[in-house]
Amino acid sequence: MIQKALKLFFLICVLGFSSIQAQTVNGKITDALDGTPLPGVNVIIKGTGIGVSSDFDGKFSIDVKKENAVLQFSFMGYATQEVSVKGRNVINISLVQSAESLNEVVVTALGIKKEKKSLGYSMTELKGDEVSLVKETNAINALQGKVAGVNITGNATGAAGSSRVIIRGNTSLTGDNQPLYIVDGIPIGNDNNGSAGMWGGNDGGDGISSVNPDEVASVSVLKGGAAAALYGSRAANGVIIITTKSGKQNKQGLGVEFSSSLTIDAVNTDLQDFQKVYGQGINGEKPQTEFLAFDNPTSSWGAKLDGSNVVNWDGVSRPYSYAGNNVDKFYRTGATYINTVAFSNANDNTNYRFSMSDLSNEDIVPNSDINRKTFSLNLGSTLANKLILNTNVKYVRENANNRPRLSDSPGNANYSVAVLPANVDVTFMDPGANDDGTERATSSNVYATNPYWAAYNFRNEDQKNRVIASASLRYDILDWLYVTARTGIDDYTRKSTSVEPWGTAYKTEGGMNEEEKRYTQTDSDIMLGVNKNISEKFSTNSFIGASNNAQIREQLKLNGDKFIVPDLETVKNTKDQSTEYAYSKQKMSSVYGSFEFDYNKVVYLTLTARNDWFSTLSAPGKESPNNDLYTSVNTSIILSEAFKMPEWVNFAKFRAGYSELAGGAPNPYSLGLTYGIFGQGHLGQPLGGISNGSIPNANLVPYNVDEIEIGLDTRLFDGKLSVDIAYYDKTTTKDIVEVSASQTSGYGSSIANLGEITNSGFELLISGTPVKNDNFSWTSSFNVAYNNGKVVATNDTNSDINLGEARSQNVQISHIVGQPYGVIYGKAFARDDNGVIIYEIDADGVPRAKDGGNKQLGEGVPPYSMGLNNAFTYKNFNASFLIDAKFGGQIFSGSNAGAVARGQHLMTLEGRENGLSVSGIDSATGLPFTTTVAPKNLATYWGRISGIAEAFVEDADYIKFRQISVGYNIPSELLEKTFLTSANVSIIGKNLFYIQRSVDNIDPEAAYNNGNAQGLEYYGLPSTRSYGVSLNVKF
Amino acid sequence: MKKTIYTVLLLLLVFTSCDKDFEELNIDPTKSSQIDAKSKFTATLLRTSGERYEAWRANLIYQSTMMQHIATTTGYWVGDKYFWNQGYAASLWDRYYTGPVKGIEDILVQLRVEEQPAEMIAIARIQRVVIYQRLTDLYGDVPYSEAGKGYLEGILTPKYDAQSDIYADMLKELEESAADLGSGTSKWGDADLIFKGDQGKWKRYANSMMLRLGLRLIKVDPVAAKNWATKAISGGVMTSNSDIAYIQHTPGPEGINKNGNGETFTADGSPRLSKTFVDFLNGDPRLPILAARRSDKSTLPADLKGLPNGLDGDLLKALTGEENTNAYAEPNRAIITGEDAPMFFQTYAEVEFMLAECAERWGLAGGNTETHYNAGVTAAMKYLELYGSAASISDDKIQAYLTNNPFNSAKALEMIGNQYWAATFLNEYETFSNWRRTGFPNLVPVNYPGNETNGTIPRRLTYTTSEQVVNAANYNAAIAAQGPDILTTRVWWDKQ
Repeated sequence: MIQKALKLFFLICVLGFSSIQAQTVNGKITDALDGTPLPGVNVIIKGTGIGVSSDFDGKFSIDVKKENAVLQFSFMGYATQEVSVKGRNVINISLVQSAESLNEVVVTALGIKKEKKSLGYSMTELKGDEVSLVKETNAINALQGKVAGVNITGNATGAAGSSRVIIRGNTSLTGDNQPLYIVDGIPIGNDNNGSAGMWGGNDGGDGISSVNPDEVASVSVLKGGAAAALYGSRAANGVIIITTKSGKQNKQGLGVEFSSSLTIDAVNTDLQDFQKVYGQGINGEKPQTEFLAFDNPTSSWGAKLDGSNVVNWDGVSRPYSYAGNNVDKFYRTGATYINTVAFSNANDNTNYRFSMSDLSNEDIVPNSDINRKTFSLNLGSTLANKLILNTNVKYVRENANNRPRLSDSPGNANYSVAVLPANVDVTFMDPGANDDGTERATSSNVYATNPYWAAYNFRNEDQKNRVIASASLRYDILDWLYVTARTGIDDYTRKSTSVEPWGTAYKTEGGMNEEEKRYTQTDSDIMLGVNKNISEKFSTNSFIGASNNAQIREQLKLNGDKFIVPDLETVKNTKDQSTEYAYSKQKMSSVYGSFEFDYNKVVYLTLTARNDWFSTLSAPGKESPNNDLYTSVNTSIILSEAFKMPEWVNFAKFRAGYSELAGGAPNPYSLGLTYGIFGQGHLGQPLGGISNGSIPNANLVPYNVDEIEIGLDTRLFDGKLSVDIAYYDKTTTKDIVEVSASQTSGYGSSIANLGEITNSGFELLISGTPVKNDNFSWTSSFNVAYNNGKVVATNDTNSDINLGEARSQNVQISHIVGQPYGVIYGKAFARDDNGVIIYEIDADGVPRAKDGGNKQLGEGVPPYSMGLNNAFTYKNFNASFLIDAKFGGQIFSGSNAGAVARGQHLMTLEGRENGLSVSGIDSATGLPFTTTVAPKNLATYWGRISGIAEAFVEDADYIKFRQISVGYNIPSELLEKTFLTSANVSIIGKNLFYIQRSVDNIDPEAAYNNGNAQGLEYYGLPSTRSYGVSLNVKF
Repeated sequence: MKKTIYTVLLLLLVFTSCDKDFEELNIDPTKSSQIDAKSKFTATLLRTSGERYEAWRANLIYQSTMMQHIATTTGYWVGDKYFWNQGYAASLWDRYYTGPVKGIEDILVQLRVEEQPAEMIAIARIQRVVIYQRLTDLYGDVPYSEAGKGYLEGILTPKYDAQSDIYADMLKELEESAADLGSGTSKWGDADLIFKGDQGKWKRYANSMMLRLGLRLIKVDPVAAKNWATKAISGGVMTSNSDIAYIQHTPGPEGINKNGNGETFTADGSPRLSKTFVDFLNGDPRLPILAARRSDKSTLPADLKGLPNGLDGDLLKALTGEENTNAYAEPNRAIITGEDAPMFFQTYAEVEFMLAECAERWGLAGGNTETHYNAGVTAAMKYLELYGSAASISDDKIQAYLTNNPFNSAKALEMIGNQYWAATFLNEYETFSNWRRTGFPNLVPVNYPGNETNGTIPRRLTYTTSEQVVNAANYNAAIAAQGPDILTTRVWWDKQ
């Protein structure tokens, strides 16, 4: 393979250099309207098919053999011009935009800009302002609802948390399903730095959040395999290409841009509605003593609130009446400030943009905040004739404090606040510490942490220093032959400190750890490309290349348990100390080629091929392959040019493609059994054992993703309406899965190429401009996507795969063959043939819903998603709003299950005075019964119901008023006498309300991590509404 | 032409062989392909002793409260009131199969491949029996012959063996292992945390285990029980407290080094000594060693009050007028709850009580029940000094106890059973098994509203729920054979 590729290179190189040298014409192509350079303009010597493209600075250089040659300049969206050379060496030219701009240029795989109409696959490009208008702490969340088929979940994990981005469904059963992110041409790491599981934890943030929304020039979403085949296995889940702003656009010397925004986050107290009628207590009685108040801190099974004085957990008597909304009292108003200043400039040879940005967020959880500083330099330079260098360097420094704990109760303030009975006021729990420095326990359950202790005394800090740098060099060997080399690095160190302080009730002596994580990804590729008109009607735009990618992860950890000096929080000051070290390195090498041919710009055909070698599938003596060759073909036919169309059809394109893709094992070192020495020995004896928790498999081979895609893209009625529809069908086979093994095998799982999953679906984008005149315009776009994901095979016996479990241990997210991806599977009611619930009547007379075993209770991933975006401009005002919706999914609400057991839920009000009538089938007789559960037994009755997961799986459907903005551009007349060239202000609102929501008390998007096990909610952060103002000025 | 050469050189840089070094690259630099079996054995011993996870849930929350050693009003101590928490119930299973089972199966394969001495293999086989005996006693039919072999034999879903088959094989294993042991020092040496490689002690431990396992069969197969007891006694069982099989824990530095019960007591202040246990210890010199009043740490017998089982705060107040649970005795934190406390697998006292039973039932072991009973009580009091000098009981006090509480041959089996129960405090796995086998002590069940068992003491703990999904066929076959996977189903040897 390599030798063949090399031979080909030689051949092309030699052929290229054997051509005759002739006169060279240089020049620069600009936009006639605003003078900005136009990259990618085709410059062809008329009648020869020989041509070049202009570079990023609009410059071109072409060799002509005849003095009287005519150059043809064509560029989509612009009127084609012809210019006679007449012996000139320099020809500068301005192109005029054509009236009907049906064409646009998009950034495709490997950073190659292409006419969108040539693409045989679906891709969506968003401009920077669509990301920066309503800013998100994690910029990628701004894509929610804007791209059909891209499903984004920002979870209830705090402002510094991670996002889950899924394109066209989940392609891997247990692997990472998130897309590959390419920033300025190179892949960046998107590792998750910790997330909450069933036993709690916090969201350590992800890699993509380092991107500064103000610096984004465009975001391209390559959804399908055809679009992404050139990124290889890493693109199995789609590719998101982010291009940051450069200095190229500058035309008048130094430009300074300043933007500033403030966003206020307020807890949305409308979502949760608990009963406010009955207070703390048990058996319908108020707590009689301090001890009982302390021992039953979360039981809302007390008496009717009557305003009498009742002793609280702290021994103080307070009115037995509704104490107000504890969520509102405990959480603060969050705020996010983002300030960016950028300097840019350009001259004939060099352009640059340097920006500095500061993002400061105070989260709604008291004492929790994040700061992110970004320094970014993009530099483009023509080093020599035909030799262009582009470099990008970003330095990101991130500091986060006290990322909130989630899920399980220890240290989770969200839990401690959510469980309080109506008459218990959270603010009396402040301060969280006693005078002696121990936790001021509010409960006999040590695992329910005083929320103020959790917020102010737990310490959780991390700092990330990250450099993302890349350089690319392009050399135009000939008019039609170029070579590009690119190399980049993403390197970060993340240091974190986490302290459970001395005096914590559940860990009286406390403990802490210090951790340092290092991540380095290097990526290099080299490409030889041909851009040539073969004849007047045929042209080709093809390239071959090779790349290398390496990722190194290293982790150092110091753990200390039990502080010796209580308030000295350092590992050295602990009784039990230990260290951890982990290291992994993996590489992938690839050769690839893409061959695009077009006939008269009407029919396009692209073939690609790629071979990847994976270190993660390599082992000495391994006989199965560690590499795979895969191909793709796609075509685009401009129907509106090929056939006569009705007049109202301005443009119509049919596209179709088939692609293959192969991928390696996600983690290195999974092919063989290894042993390690762990701990620090015992009484002088070393401790050792098997390191693998999963059964290794020496015969792993690459997995495959095959995809078929067809689509139709039309512009109708003078461009007022466009409709883009896509259908895809993709199949993942030989998916490398951690197959759940019975623990009794000694291992939790094994690894095998046994997974198979299909995703098919459609995407529809309708956009239009219903009104457009000089003063007013209204554009509207609606996108809807449906994905039918189906698990076809899980393992040799097709048994279920457990992806994750809720803390209540009665429900999990599972892959079940024949079912959608990640269904909610848990304890169900036993029912008779008519669906009536069967009860066992206990000796105490309280009906107990019979355990119906585990059943499929819902889908964790909603199959339908949609977005409606409307934008208006009126003179200098602009406004937009976005509504997004998801349908067809369900969520298990652990918070509601708990609220029912504790007597907080509204449904527990019934029968408090006179008993609750319960009917069903008596399991003993099989006959219907009706009984009344006495008020004193309601806690027992509901406590039992709360253990049945089925009762708390609800539809996660929602329609959300996601964002709104109103902006004003200060008219240029007013700015003329100032130093400003443009200025605008906007006010924005985010997540203001739900138009429709099925689930009660919680946010339907309230999952506690961004992993594959979606559909579980368990005491995350309450949902927020945001309001903001932003200012952007240029001078 | 120069340009061409540069271009090709540049290409070559990237291209130099696509997967060169990939094989070496994919070897974890922090791991080894094999290590000395000794370090594995030490780790497996510690994991058999257990960590906080299962010590807390299976040993203390469930068994110690069901056995009325411990009582508490705290809700999540579900064993106190016979509630069902599937996660807690399965905790031993969850930790043992991926811990000591996986470890011991790997060790045995390595020893055989490396052709290590028979005595080493014998000791590992005895340890294997210790591990599985806990599992099968607690759960009944469990994976045994195919367990822990996910890598070794590629068995991902082991079948559940009938407890009758497991017992037969474990007894055979003990017999064969004992035969392979001599009197010198094993090659395990100090890696053996229990006996430092003393083969003679391992041999006596193997026979003492044989005695324990044999007697377990008393209800289901009394003839076999007698045969195995006879064989064990003639093979030579433990003869003094220096034969006790235990592991000395250390206060750290990591969880694995610590006594799991001790870690639980560090983390959890809710357990109190049960009224049943404190009342039994009335006049017993062990009381001030095992118990202390929670509120002021007093160990004066007059201050030591046991908490009744099966009550919440309200019921306690209603029943006793007392609402402060700190007024009750808790495990004495000055002596027995340390994270560095020893963890006992089998004591000489237990062996003497079993010998007493054999003498009583069959006239074995010299036939003198009382001698063995008195030796058992003496050993049970003396061995506490392994907790430290504060736990040392003088011979006078022991003699006084025996004088005040003389052996009564009319109630021989009950007295033996009661003393066995007291002697196995904190090794609740053994307490629970021996209570099920003998019915002693005659515990009065509690009947808290809404309990899972209709007011009867559970007879087993339940399987881990994941088995219903990942090992469904074998799980269902086990239930079909043994009975429903609930707390009241009896294991094979626990015949009604």
